[in-house]
Amino acid sequence: MKQKLEEIRASALDTIHAAADLAELEQLRVKFLGRKGVLTDVLRGLAQCPPEDRPAVGKVANEVKQAVADALDARKEAIAASQEAASAAAERLDLSLPGRRPLRGHKHPVMRVAEEISDIFVQLGFQIAAGPDVETEYYNFDSLNTPANHPARDLHDTFFVKPGVVLRTHTSPVQMRVMERTQPPVAVIVPGRVYRVDQDASHSPMFYQIEGLLVDKGISFADLKGLLRLFIQRYFGPTTKTRFRPHYFPFTEPSAEVDISCTVCSGKGCRVCKHSGWLEILGCGMVHPEVFRYANYDSETYTGLAFGLGVERIAMLTHAISSIHYLYENDLRFLEQF
Amino acid sequence: MRISLNWLRELVDIDPDVDTLAHELTMLGLEIEAIEHRGAGLSQVLVGQIKTIEPHPDADKLVVCTTDVGQDHPLQIVCGATNMRVGDKVPTAVDGSTIAGGFKISRRKMRGVESQGMMCAADELGLGSDHSGLLILPPEVPVGADALHLLGLDDTVLEIEITPNRGDWAGMIGVARELAALHQIPLRLPEFTLQEGTRPASELSSVTIEAPELCPRYAGRIITGITIGPSPLWLRQRLLAAGQRPINNVVDVTNLVLLETCHPLHAFDFNKLHENRIVVRTAKQNETLETLDGQTRKLTPDMLVIADARHPVALAGVMGGADSEVGENTTDIFLESAYFHPPSIRATARALGMNTEASQRFQRGADPEMAIWALDRAACLIQRVAGGSVAKGRLDEYPKPFAEKTLNLRYERTDLLLGTSVCPEAQRDILERLAFSVTHSDAKSCTVRIPSWRHDVGQEADLIEDIARVHGYGNIPASLPPIRQTDMIFAPKERPLRNLRNYLSNIGLTEIMCMTFSNPREIENAGLPEDSRQQVTLQNPLSENYSGMRISLVPGLLSTIATNLRRGTSDIALFEAGPVYIPLENQDLANEGYRCAIALSGAPGGKHWSAPARKVDFYDLKGYAEALFDWLGVPWALQSFESPAYHPRASARILLDGKPAGTMGETHPKVLRAFDIEQPVFVLELDVDPLLGESAPPALFTEPPTLPPSLRDLAVIVDKSIPAADLLETVRKAGGNLLSKVSIFDVYTGKQVPEDKKSVALSLVFQAIDRTLTDADTDKRCEKIIAQLRKAHGAELR
Repeated sequence: MKQKLEEIRASALDTIHAAADLAELEQLRVKFLGRKGVLTDVLRGLAQCPPEDRPAVGKVANEVKQAVADALDARKEAIAASQEAASAAAERLDLSLPGRRPLRGHKHPVMRVAEEISDIFVQLGFQIAAGPDVETEYYNFDSLNTPANHPARDLHDTFFVKPGVVLRTHTSPVQMRVMERTQPPVAVIVPGRVYRVDQDASHSPMFYQIEGLLVDKGISFADLKGLLRLFIQRYFGPTTKTRFRPHYFPFTEPSAEVDISCTVCSGKGCRVCKHSGWLEILGCGMVHPEVFRYANYDSETYTGLAFGLGVERIAMLTHAISSIHYLYENDLRFLEQF
Repeated sequence: MRISLNWLRELVDIDPDVDTLAHELTMLGLEIEAIEHRGAGLSQVLVGQIKTIEPHPDADKLVVCTTDVGQDHPLQIVCGATNMRVGDKVPTAVDGSTIAGGFKISRRKMRGVESQGMMCAADELGLGSDHSGLLILPPEVPVGADALHLLGLDDTVLEIEITPNRGDWAGMIGVARELAALHQIPLRLPEFTLQEGTRPASELSSVTIEAPELCPRYAGRIITGITIGPSPLWLRQRLLAAGQRPINNVVDVTNLVLLETCHPLHAFDFNKLHENRIVVRTAKQNETLETLDGQTRKLTPDMLVIADARHPVALAGVMGGADSEVGENTTDIFLESAYFHPPSIRATARALGMNTEASQRFQRGADPEMAIWALDRAACLIQRVAGGSVAKGRLDEYPKPFAEKTLNLRYERTDLLLGTSVCPEAQRDILERLAFSVTHSDAKSCTVRIPSWRHDVGQEADLIEDIARVHGYGNIPASLPPIRQTDMIFAPKERPLRNLRNYLSNIGLTEIMCMTFSNPREIENAGLPEDSRQQVTLQNPLSENYSGMRISLVPGLLSTIATNLRRGTSDIALFEAGPVYIPLENQDLANEGYRCAIALSGAPGGKHWSAPARKVDFYDLKGYAEALFDWLGVPWALQSFESPAYHPRASARILLDGKPAGTMGETHPKVLRAFDIEQPVFVLELDVDPLLGESAPPALFTEPPTLPPSLRDLAVIVDKSIPAADLLETVRKAGGNLLSKVSIFDVYTGKQVPEDKKSVALSLVFQAIDRTLTDADTDKRCEKIIAQLRKAHGAELR
């Protein structure tokens, strides 16, 4: 009986190994393991064995049964694998064809740069503030220590709506609007559109500014330097150098303009920085006591720093944009680059 | 302001290195706009005197000259010019020299005759473009001298920008004073002694000030017997370096003193003043004055004029009059040195559109105390270059004497404001170096007298700024301020607006930023309703296109589409979110609400190999609207309406809470024509302002069903005119609480459906929370739905 089982094993393994497809394999499974299969037949004959031989024969029978089942599985796996391989070769995709993309929009570079700049200050604890574009002369000039017929008004070519009403020439009027609403401490950052009667190769009549104001006890020019240096290094990179030089704004005293080491030549001198190694990027200063007087702040108790910058210039430096006019032409071939 | 370093060096002993000097001035607050090296590259051009001129043996158009350049032997020079005579002095480039354009001059033969150098025309020295003949130098220049130096061609000129607070920097002395203070060295004012005649000026003329508020001081001198002529070379060079054109010796002196002291002077032809006297008054109604530039100016009674006994002869502080101009035949002059009220000068200059060297300086505030020094200095120089006799004494009306002001400085305040520790002595020292005189001083503070030229100094902070400047902004430390928080929220809409813009740009729309200007034609072209075309208008617009502020984002979107189509981009999906400006009656400010607008055109999805390109239609736009409102969490509805802005087949009002909040649709063909757009455009504009204030309430959780749903599809045939929304509404009502979802998966018109009918296929999802639905449950519900559809809409099951 044992011998018979071994013969079955040998013939089963041979035929299974030679099976060409899954159908043939199924036939073989029925032939050997089926209810009427060869092995079942043999096992049915086990009863005729002498009782003392039965355990040994039974063990062999199970081994054979297991071996046949394993062989069937292995062959099935092998046939499936080779079939898949064959069909994969026939159905292989051209991976280089373009995929189906979801539509992608683009944020306007001025807006994005304005947000990045604002966020640096927001992370430091500044709050966003806003004010109207159509503004009174009081907020735009008078309350910022720039009375009528003050020569500093010549710095701003102003659009007039009617007597006493202008398009704001800077975001600074929001300083006064904020200070009117609350006593110190104040820490605000003000992005917004501003307007000047100016249109040429490097000017747009509407442009975007960001204003900052920090008022509290003990705020100093050293704080102004430290704060703006931190901003510049976060935005332009940690190796960027800053230079504060004296300037004049009617609403700050002392006032300064801030230059950064040229982002193109790193300060060596190039066409962009007019060979000076420096790029002017913002104006700033300590809030003028007269401005505090208009705001009803006690300038003996509180001091403040303020700054303002033009977003277009920074966007142009950041993205190496050659002319301000690209920014407001809204040519999609331009906008889709950002 | 152009600063000649040769000139500056006479006033203060400055660092010879130009870059160092430029840096020093920059760090003092004088911004350098440009550095001009005059005569850069030129060398060895001497003053030569022509001794002989002979014809060239072999060339008709050349002559052979001998020119003495102060060396052992005169040079033989072949020359093509014809304007010179024997005895003339000319700039002569000797052997080995370099002239403009880098040309090297050496001995060479010209048509067989040796030429040992070159006599130069103006352009050959880089002085303009004059090539009409040799540059003839004035007779007084010494033979053999360095012509480049005499012509100012060894000079460097710094062009500096002057901030409006520092009028005194519009003069050489003012700039020199800063450098003297920085380096703690003396300022060297020019010294002079005026020789006066015997006849008192007061016998010859008089000054009457009728408007003392506008003219606190008016001084003058009378000089008789002068000879008008060209100025000497040194004087002309000074003016040329400063960017001014020499005119004649008298006018040149007044300009020179203006550049030197920052104090504008004016010379009148004394004999052209009626009754030889001066009246300072405001203009009379309808008075006119022809100014030096030949223009006749209409004067108004708020303008200050200098008049003689009858008529205005000058626009005070702005420009002189043509009638009393100093000309060739002038022999006697009245020299004016005055101080005018700055805002009055500014108002007059602006009203007449005149921005002159004088008005610029007067409106920033000249120095009333400098008036006399400048007057005497100019009189002395005029006498030197034009001869004549200066009458004895000055006419000097000073009805409003300069009131000296003092200011108190607390040393502690300096350190508090700057974040420094500058010792009291150093603080005082800096102020004294800047000519503030200390009148009182103790351990904590000092009192200083403000110099008469420092109109910008009115507060302690101004003194602190001067200390900071001279101490050096670079020497102030840097620290980080503590930033204390408050509970104020100043701009609650800014963050939600940014989120909205982020969302729209993330779902395929490109953000544009248009100029916020607009004009009535554009608004009309866009088909905006006539009753809402009121704009905030500008009194001084840049152009007709920008005559006012926008009232809608749509014209900007349409213009942008037109621009892009012109440039070959026809597949467009864009948006703008920003303010519009609606005028408010009787109010200064406008209503500046935020709007959001979307525009689609062409096939923004682009071409893909797997399917033909698809042009957008209304439902693409509606999809964006659905996505937007879903994201905003706001229920909304559409209501069809008629508008000149939209095509009648797709024109809708957007309702929020039943109230109009925007519009959307297919742009009207007439509007497209007006904007030169030749393909369909789909536009949405929404007033988002009310939606930005507060965020939507948080979504509340519902348990997802665990039991399997039961699905049914059905198709019904209805009249074409029945809106899909009505069908859905009926289905939902009839489906009751077991119907969890219904959607339309097909709409069909065509062969198998009668004309004027359509087939609508619906996909229904039934779901109970507490049990698995049986087929019987679902069938029953479906039948009810079909029955209701039939009843409400005459629907037939397909």
